[in-house]
Order: sequence, then structure tokens, then C-alpha cells
Amino acid sequence: MSESILVIGGGFSGLTAAVEAAEMGYEVFIVEKEAYLGGRVAQLNKYFPKLCPPTCGLEINFKRIQTNPKITYYTLADVESISGNPGNFSVSIRVNPRGTTPQCTNCKAGEAAATSEVPNEFNFGMDTRKAIYMPHPMAFPNQCVLDLANTSPDEIEAIKAAMPAGHIDQEQQAETITLNVGAIVVATGWKPYDAEKIDNLKIGQFDNVVTNMMVERMASPSGPTGGKVVRPSDKEEPKTVGFVQCAGSRDVNHLAFCSQICCMATLKQVTYLREQNPDIEAYIFYIDMRAPGARYEKFYEKIKQDDKVHFIKGKVADIIPGDAPGSVKLVAEDTLGGGRIEQEVELAVLATGMQPVGAESPIPGIEYDADGFVVPKEGIIPCGCSKRPADVVSSAQSATAAALKAVQTLVRRAG
Amino acid sequence: MADTKTFQPDLGFVKGVMEAGGDTVNRCYQCATCSVVCPLSTEESPFPRKEMLWAQWGMADRIAGDADVWLCHQCGDCSTYCPRDAKPGDVLGAIRANAIKYYAQPKALADLFSNKAGVLAVVGASYIAWLIVIFLWSLYTGERFLFPEGDVKYYKLLTFIPIDALALPAAGIAAWAGYMGITAFWRDLCKGSGYVSYSGTPVKPAIGPFIFKYIIPAFQEILAHSRFEKCGQTRERVQGHKLMLYSFIILFIVTCIVFVVNDMIYVPFLGHHFTPMPLWNPIKIAANIGAVMLVAGSWMVWQMRKRKTEEGVFKSSEQDWLLIYLIFAVGVTGVAAEVIRLFNIALLAYPIYVLHLATVVTLFLSIPYSKFAHLLYRTTAYVFQLYEKDLKEGKAGWGMEKEVLPPNPEEAEKAAH
Repeated sequence: MSESILVIGGGFSGLTAAVEAAEMGYEVFIVEKEAYLGGRVAQLNKYFPKLCPPTCGLEINFKRIQTNPKITYYTLADVESISGNPGNFSVSIRVNPRGTTPQCTNCKAGEAAATSEVPNEFNFGMDTRKAIYMPHPMAFPNQCVLDLANTSPDEIEAIKAAMPAGHIDQEQQAETITLNVGAIVVATGWKPYDAEKIDNLKIGQFDNVVTNMMVERMASPSGPTGGKVVRPSDKEEPKTVGFVQCAGSRDVNHLAFCSQICCMATLKQVTYLREQNPDIEAYIFYIDMRAPGARYEKFYEKIKQDDKVHFIKGKVADIIPGDAPGSVKLVAEDTLGGGRIEQEVELAVLATGMQPVGAESPIPGIEYDADGFVVPKEGIIPCGCSKRPADVVSSAQSATAAALKAVQTLVRRAG
Repeated sequence: MADTKTFQPDLGFVKGVMEAGGDTVNRCYQCATCSVVCPLSTEESPFPRKEMLWAQWGMADRIAGDADVWLCHQCGDCSTYCPRDAKPGDVLGAIRANAIKYYAQPKALADLFSNKAGVLAVVGASYIAWLIVIFLWSLYTGERFLFPEGDVKYYKLLTFIPIDALALPAAGIAAWAGYMGITAFWRDLCKGSGYVSYSGTPVKPAIGPFIFKYIIPAFQEILAHSRFEKCGQTRERVQGHKLMLYSFIILFIVTCIVFVVNDMIYVPFLGHHFTPMPLWNPIKIAANIGAVMLVAGSWMVWQMRKRKTEEGVFKSSEQDWLLIYLIFAVGVTGVAAEVIRLFNIALLAYPIYVLHLATVVTLFLSIPYSKFAHLLYRTTAYVFQLYEKDLKEGKAGWGMEKEVLPPNPEEAEKAAH
């Protein structure tokens, strides 16, 4: 029997589940595959509908983790396998080396000495990072990462020489640890659906067709464009922006389900643009606008009042080159009687949906449904977007519920 | 509530569409992906999104008056990209199949031609009818019944007089039913697009523009297969279809030539038959090329449909297959009758020749009743589309109409003051 709980995934859901369970007095382990906690929320510019930065919720959770001795977290760590039964699971975890020591909280000197640059995953490849880097300015743990696997020994030596003594440890090896836990909360979250798979939207063919998560990074003050949404081709501010809703979602050829958040995310991103420049016009192509609940409906109604925001009921099913250089035309049928239209925009945003991480990276020992969502079982409790597509608030609520379920598993087995 | 519209959904129509292969129609959630990916969909009247809605809601009259249903060549692009797997391509196919039945007169023949047993029955019945005609004709000519003596020469069995005695009534029925179908369809198209006269009669252009501005350009487009070639998923189907269409044209022309030369000149004036022609005769060469094209084209279409059906690009109904089988049978029996005649095997040649005649009569009789009717309705839709476009622009006559200029906003304002 084990009295501890494993939380797989250190995003908003995982953090919430972990602190809730720990504050009920249980020992909790968090396993996070990235180098930082916070997950997708850390990449967002603002939450909807309050439009406050993600620092809000994340900082509070980080504080609760730091002050709670019951929580242990592993970053750069993957769950390799799960065996055993409720009350007594054995979980094998691979912890990858970070290449740095905890005092390495600033690596400007190392970055200057590094010679290679690779696309920055955190910003969806819109800029680059060096071999040594801080994942993002508010990364927690606040410790730099040295990319040991993809960097030459000479470059590592040069970085080490530039950094203060004791900050770099290139001798670190990946290690496998085994945890004995009584219950597992799965909070592996989601990834943006790969827009390249939607071949008729041709994201790879046009520079100025981006995804909604890329817009989130551009709008973020710490993002690749310093908080300004621009066209990737010429870094100019677009005057017209088209949003392609249901890019992959509600589509049996891609994601068979509604991703829940893309309509609200688009409405939110419209506010970024309209604040950025009052002349920007937005065109939103949708099948159905989904703003569930009174607060979201109110937000939607407010955006609808804006006469620079145009809603067109009809899905974009083709994107073709525009007349102006760099522009594209969104092709759709205006099903409210407007015929087949080609709307030229300077920037097109694909509102790509949420694919559960389990769809492409399942963990042995966990059962998934056809879409990749986790099937709940006694002692294996999904929450957040590993369970179903959800916004941040619903994810947090489901995480609290999952923490309670995990505790119940322990108490029942012990009793 | 003055603007309230009430409509009575025709549930029987919805059921009919679902039974005819459009069982996925209710999955559609109106995103209009189909209307965008369709290579034939137009800017003013995109399809098939609106047809999916009308079919779901049982708006039979809207569908009946919609030329777009027939402007689809069922390439399957819409079904491939449909996010709900609602298969608009199959739904439109089902709507067309039902439209053929709807316009067919008498309906019993449409039912007969819609299943394998019915088609076989018609082939069998016409075989027996030919045997009767052959028997009666043999009494007149004195030749032995079915197997005349001497070298195999089909004119010993039948000449144009007994052939026409059976073929003309069949052609007459087909022509009458086809005409009735086309006119009813035209009336529905006029109603659907709002172009009806005060008395409710459908509009149609004067005969001159009708032929030169609409029918001839529509025929040219059909001959070139220019729209069919835009179809994405099933572009390969075009080659087989073209071969079949061209072979029908070639065979029609050579039949007419033979009719004139043999039956109008040789037999009455020279007292002997022009047929069978030697193989080097240019008319015979053309006929043989046409025959090979017919067999090859129907075989290609057959194989293509089989593959695409297996791949799930579209569904194939019994009517789809029956038309292909029948055309293939016409081609194969025709070629076989000629080859066996050349080998002079009377025992085989004459029965196969009669089978060829039976399949030909069946095929021609089936034109307004089977899937072959797409020939009538798609052509009508092509013609109507050209006409409707001119109607909208106010130049559906000889082109000498006064040009209607768009209203000038400045002058309109002046007039208002």
C-alpha cells in the first residue's frame, strides 16, 4: 500500500490537482516532460474572459508548491510505464538531465558564448534559442537548461567557460526512478492540432497563415515579437486578419470533437488586435460560434458590437494567394445567403483545436479512447484536457475533483 | 408575423433520398466545406451545401427546381473533405436517381429499369419480341427461321423494315417520355429560379437563341467534358466516359449512313444489299473503331467505379452498375456478332446478333427511365444554367436588348430631391 499520489503533467490541471491533494495532507509527485511547470497556460498571453495574464493563476500555484514540503516535482521527466493496482502502483520515470545546477538562474553569458541556434519550441519556431536557455522569463523552476543532446562537446565547453563556476554540469546522466504510489492523476493535457494535416488550409504554403497559439505568443510581451501581432513574412502589422474556426475540430478527418476553447480564444485574440490598432478589421469564419455560459456569452455579445469585427457563417475550406503581396484569400460559402466568397486578409489565423497528448504519446498502462482522451479507471483519474477539451477554469475544477478522487482511492484501500 | 413562412416538410422525400444511397444526409451540419472544395460550385449559387439542407428538411420542390443537382459530376471531393462524413456526393447522386424516377412516365418502367431483375426481364422480353419479328419476317422472305441457309448475313434475318417495326416504337416511347421529363424538369427549373410568366407558365428563349446561345454551347461543353475534367477525386473517370460518349456519336453516324446507303439507295434501286461491308470500307472502319471505343470506355468506367467504390470515395447504386453493364453488353454482343459472322459460325452468330438487338433496344428504351436519363437532365441543366445567367443579366434574346445600366447613385439622389 502506498499513501502517495502521482500527478502526470505539470500544467494548470496537474498543478491544481497536486496542491489540492498535498494540502489535504498527502504526499504528491509531479512528473512534467518540459523543463518548466505551467504547461500550455504559460504560453498564453491572456485568459478569457477576464483578459488578465496567466501569471495570475500560475504564480499562486507555484507559491503553494514551493511552500508545501509534501510536493516533489520532476521536470524533463517522462513516465515510461505503469504497473500494479489501485493503492499500489509502481511507476517507472525517466528523468532527463538539465545540464545545469539550481544556482544557474541566468545564462546570458552562456548564451553569448553559444554558437548554434535552433527553433524555439516555446514560441512555435517563430524565433530561435541558443544551446543554453531559460525556457521563458517566468519559468518555474527558474533554472536554465543546457541542451546536452543536440550540442557539440566543444560548444558545451565554451558555454561552461563563459558561465560562473559550478553552474554547468554536463556530466549529468538520464536516470530512471521508480515511484510507488496509491493513485495516479493524469493531467497530460493537450497540444495544438497539427495544422499541416489539414491539407486544404495549406498552412505550410503561406507565410502569413499562422495558428491561434502562434498569435498567443506574438501577443505576449515576452513573445518573439515583443507583444505585437505581425505578419511573419514582413513583420508588418496586418490591417485585416481572418480567423478560421474549427481548423481541424468537429471534423471526422481530424479531431472528431469540438475543442471547446477556440471560439472564445478567437474572440479574445480579436481584443488583442483591436487594442493594438483601432483600424484592424477582423473576419471570423465559423460553423457555429460557441460561447457557453452567461459570462462567455456576454463577452461574445460585446465583440459583436464592434463594427470592425465581421462574422461570416461558413467554414473556410480553401486558402488561396491574395492579390496583395503576402496576403491570402479565405474561401468559404457565406451560408446566410452571401454566396461563395473569397475574403482577402493580410494575416490568417487557424483556430486549431486541442489534441489530447495521449493521441500521439500514450503512456503504457493508461487506457485511451479513440480520440486519445484518458479513460478513467479506479486509481487512474484524468483531469483537464487529458479527459476532455476544456478551458482553464473547467480544467482547474476537474483537477480539484480528481485530487479528491485520488484521495478517496487511498482512503478506501487503507480502510 | 407577416413574414412568417410555413412549409410542409416532405418526409417521404427525405426517406426516398436516404433509401437511394443518401442515408448520410442527416449528418450534415451546414459548415459548407463541400461548397468550397467542389471544383464545379459557382460563386452565385454554390452547391451542394444548400441541397443538403433542402434534402434534410424535405424541401422537395426546392430540390426539383435546382439545376445545381445536375451540375454535379459526383467526383467525391466534397465527401472526402466533409467533416461529418455526410457524403454530399452520394446524397446528390441519390437525389438525381430519385429525380429520374420522379420525371419518368410511366413510373412502372422506371421501377423496372431500377433493378437487375427488371432489366433482365426487359432484355428477355425484347429477345422474344425479336424472335417473333424474325419468325414473321421469315414467313415473308422464305428464309429458314433464325438460321438462314448459306453464309452468315444478318440481312437474311432482318432488314430495316422489321428492325424499325420494333425499334421505332421503342424509340418513340423513349422520345416521348424523354420529352415529357425534360419539359417537366424545365418547368421546375423555371419555378425554382423564379422565372415564370404571369400565368405561371415557364419561360423559354426564342428558338434561335435557344439553339445558338444555349443548346450548342452546352453541347460543346459536354463534348469537351470540360467540367467533368475539373473533378478532383475521379478525374480518371473522364477518359472512359469520353470514349463511351464519342463511340455513341460515331455509331449513331455510321448507323445513319448505312441506313441511307443501304436501305434508301442499294436495296430499292440496285436490288441488293450494301451490307455486310468489307472491313476496309471507311464506314466499316469507323464502325469498328466506335465499337472498340464503346467496349473499352465502358470497361474503363466499370473498373474505375469499382475501385473508387472500394476506396469509399463514393457509393454505387444498383442503377449505376446496371447502366454500365448494359452498355458493356451492347458493345460486347455487337463486336461478338461481327467477329462470329466473319468466322461464319451460323449457330452462334444469329443468336448473338439477336441478343445484340435485344440489348440495344433495352438500352434505348431505358434512356428516360434508367441512370441513362442523366443524358437528358444534365444536358437540360447545362442549357438552363446558360439561359438563367443571361436572364439575370437581361440579355437572353439575340443580344440586341437595351443594355441595362446599374443605377447611378448620384442621379438617383438628384431625382429624389
